[in-house]
Amino acid sequence: MSTLLIIAHDEWRYWRRSKLALVTIIISIVMALTSVVLTTISVADENHQRAHLQQQAEQTFVEQPDRHPHRMVHYGHYLFRNSTPLSTIDPGIDSYTGKAIFLEGHRQNSATFSNQQHSSQLTEFGPLSPAFVLQTIAPLLLILIGYSAISRETEAGTLSFLLAQGLSYWQLLLGKVAALFSVNLLVLSPFILGCLLAASHGESSAIIVTFILSYLVYLLVWTLFIVAISALTNSNNSSFAMLICCWLFACLLLPRIAANTTQYLVEQPSKIENDFAVKAKLRELGDGHNSADPAFLQLKANLLAQYQVEKVEDLPVNFRGIVAKNSEAELTKILNTFAKEQMQRELKQSTTNQLFAWLTPALAIRGLSMQLAGTDISSYHKFLREAEQVRYEFVQSLNKAHAEQLNYQTDINRYQDSQALQNARVSANNWQILNNFEFKPFNAEQRLTQSKLALMQLTFWLIILAVFLGLVGRKSQC
Amino acid sequence: MKDSVISANNLSVAYANQLVLNKVNFSVAQGQIFALLGGNGAGKSTTLKTFLGTLKPQSGSANILGKPVHQHINTSRKQIAYLPESVMLYGHLTAIENIQYFLSLADIKQSVQQIEDALTQVSLQPQAWHNKLSQYSKGMRQKTAIALALLRQAPILFLDEPTSGLDPAAIDEFNQLMSQLAQAGSTIFMVTHDVYGACQVANKIGLLHQGELISLFNAEHNQSIDTETVHKAFVRGIRA
Repeated sequence: MSTLLIIAHDEWRYWRRSKLALVTIIISIVMALTSVVLTTISVADENHQRAHLQQQAEQTFVEQPDRHPHRMVHYGHYLFRNSTPLSTIDPGIDSYTGKAIFLEGHRQNSATFSNQQHSSQLTEFGPLSPAFVLQTIAPLLLILIGYSAISRETEAGTLSFLLAQGLSYWQLLLGKVAALFSVNLLVLSPFILGCLLAASHGESSAIIVTFILSYLVYLLVWTLFIVAISALTNSNNSSFAMLICCWLFACLLLPRIAANTTQYLVEQPSKIENDFAVKAKLRELGDGHNSADPAFLQLKANLLAQYQVEKVEDLPVNFRGIVAKNSEAELTKILNTFAKEQMQRELKQSTTNQLFAWLTPALAIRGLSMQLAGTDISSYHKFLREAEQVRYEFVQSLNKAHAEQLNYQTDINRYQDSQALQNARVSANNWQILNNFEFKPFNAEQRLTQSKLALMQLTFWLIILAVFLGLVGRKSQC
Repeated sequence: MKDSVISANNLSVAYANQLVLNKVNFSVAQGQIFALLGGNGAGKSTTLKTFLGTLKPQSGSANILGKPVHQHINTSRKQIAYLPESVMLYGHLTAIENIQYFLSLADIKQSVQQIEDALTQVSLQPQAWHNKLSQYSKGMRQKTAIALALLRQAPILFLDEPTSGLDPAAIDEFNQLMSQLAQAGSTIFMVTHDVYGACQVANKIGLLHQGELISLFNAEHNQSIDTETVHKAFVRGIRA
């Protein structure tokens, strides 16, 4: 057996006989396993519900009887976002953003029904996701297990005796690193199982491998740091105190400081401000429900000229339907402009926040994990863009039916009596306009490209900590 | 004269620019027992740490088998077995587990039977062999460490106050054991302030005072060094 393995084996023997270390290791594994199992069950259940609701929403829409087409525009339709396979490990911002969106004419609604909205607000605690366990809890547990790796030897005086046996200081350091790293592998094993499950649900193997390696590197960074600090300090107490302070700063304080600083640096208008700005712009377009609105005089003139008739009643198409279609197109341009600006600001916030990962590896793995899992802000934007495309096509299909299948006279006289209202309907066959919607995250190549910066930051931390341990080793060797 | 196994050549060591050892010179040949005597703060432990490679000399050198330790730390450490004053073995392990662990680190394979033989040789009671060291007295830990030193079969032994904490019978046994080892070819270097113990077992004694080696005594014709002479020199050195 090599010297490193002998030292690692002895460290495990110490942990087995030290109740605190043993309990901590057991807690780590149980917590990891529990979070993976619970999240996997929860995501599978949500996906099942979503698939069911999506089917139900589509069925309800297409089963509507003959109606006035514009009533169907406002009847609307729901789209549901499926979770990505790796969201069982890292739900990312999915817990905060909605997973369902209501599509209707003239509006771009926000996504609704996030987990945070309907479950955790009362307790003010977020869900215990496997990613949270790995990113925040696992380093703390590693500290509890490994803070005394070297300081224990220094404090008890066994260090000089060990070195006198012909053991080099480097062998001792690396043996302790190997022991602590083997704990990482044990804690990671439930996550690796979760990742393999994600692979069986269609996740790319390149993403799975990068995902697992990233977490291994992250925990290795903490392992190197813990052993280096333990070697640098002369007592268990000072090693523990220093490591806990660093953990607090790196995993709890700095991410919050980063979020607050980002909000300050990249300002977002409030929802009310934004809504008022959108409304003001939309008012300039005119009311698409009112074909007599002066805003549509030019459209009316163009149509009359195109079809060489004198009155809208003589047009071969329903002028109200044309107005609705035209108005929706113009309105969508404005809504898309605002939505694009909003997304750019959110992306800028996300990018600015990611810069803080040069100060803490916790932010590096957090960004990287969400990007690889497809649960980051850009993936959410992709869902919003795809949902908007579906909304626009479905509304314009109904407006087209309004313009082409409903007579203008019948349309404007629909409130004269009940028979007139009956007549102002189009066939339910026109509701067969929905294609099966299934949200797909960015492909593996795109996600790997998006995560380049975070990958670089994690590599940077690994190099920094390896150099740090190297310096500590050199300083303490003689 | 035999080649020196342990030697100090103009060895000077300083802590924070304060000279603790000043141009110390001595040599120990194979099979010799060298006792370095001195009062508190004389520089005994500093000399030992320099030979163990945990301190670097400011000038001169501490040599093991002719090679400066600070330049050949790992090869030098492989040649030595070290017995500290307060034996620092692992409290969570038994005597046998401790010995197995330290031997495996030194890449030495010894059977459990050989380990038990060594423990018997140092008079550690068999019923204690499988108890954790946290339950041992200082003397029992000392015996475990001596057994380890024997099993390491290192040609050089460094001992730091080896008989402190041992009862008189155990001291006699220890001295006999050291003599046997020296006769078998081991070279032994011990630091102590026990003049009588040193004279009983050593065939070369160095007297260290305020970082300087003030006297060297050699046993002649297999006779013990005269305790009275060393004691007088020791006291004179302290009062000077």
